[in-house]
Amino acid sequence: MGELPQTQPSVKLGQRVPDFEMTTYDPVRDDFGKVSLVEQIANKRWTILFFYPADFTFV
Amino acid sequence: MGCDIVTVSTDTQFVHLAWKKSEKELAAVTYSMAADPTGKVSKAFGVYDEATGLALRGTFVINPEGVLLNSEVNFYNMGRNIDELMRKFKANVYMGRKTNEVCPSKWKDEGDKTLVNPGAKMVGKVHEALAG
Repeated sequence: MGELPQTQPSVKLGQRVPDFEMTTYDPVRDDFGKVSLVEQIANKRWTILFFYPADFTFV
Repeated sequence: MGCDIVTVSTDTQFVHLAWKKSEKELAAVTYSMAADPTGKVSKAFGVYDEATGLALRGTFVINPEGVLLNSEVNFYNMGRNIDELMRKFKANVYMGRKTNEVCPSKWKDEGDKTLVNPGAKMVGKVHEALAG
C-alpha cells in the first residue's frame, strides 16, 4: 500500500457541514460556474460530494 | 427529490475541462466538476492528504438542510461502487420521509422490505421481522 495518507478530523455525521463554495466546470453548459452549500440549501437540493485524487486517473 | 452530484479534486476547473474533453470514459458525464486547488473543502471533509496534496476517495451525502447523513472514504487504490452509493442515497431520502422505518442491508429501492418501529419487541426477532 505504500505510505499511508495523513488526514485531519472533519465534519461528523448528523452535523451541519461547513459552508463551501467552489468553481466548477459544467459539462452540460460547457462553461465554468459555482457550487455552494448556501445555494444548495436555498434550492432544497440534496448534494453528493464525490472526492477523488486527480484528473486523468481512474475514479 | 432533487440531487446534485458534484465531483471534487484539487485540480483546477481548467484541468477538469481538459480531462472531460479528452477522456472517452467521461463522454456521458453531466455532473459539475468542482475545483478545490487550495484543499480547503477537502480538508473540511477530512479527505485531504497532507503528504501528497491530493484528496482521498471520499463520498458524502448531504441533505437539503446541509446536514451530513453518510460518508465513505477509500484509500487511493480502491474505486467506489456507484450502485452502493445510489442505494445509500435512496435509503437516506426514504428514511427522511418515513422516520419510523429503517432500511436493512438488502434494501435497494422503494417498495423493498423495511423494518418498522424497531424496538423491544424486535430484539432477538430480527429474522422473523425481515421474513414477515
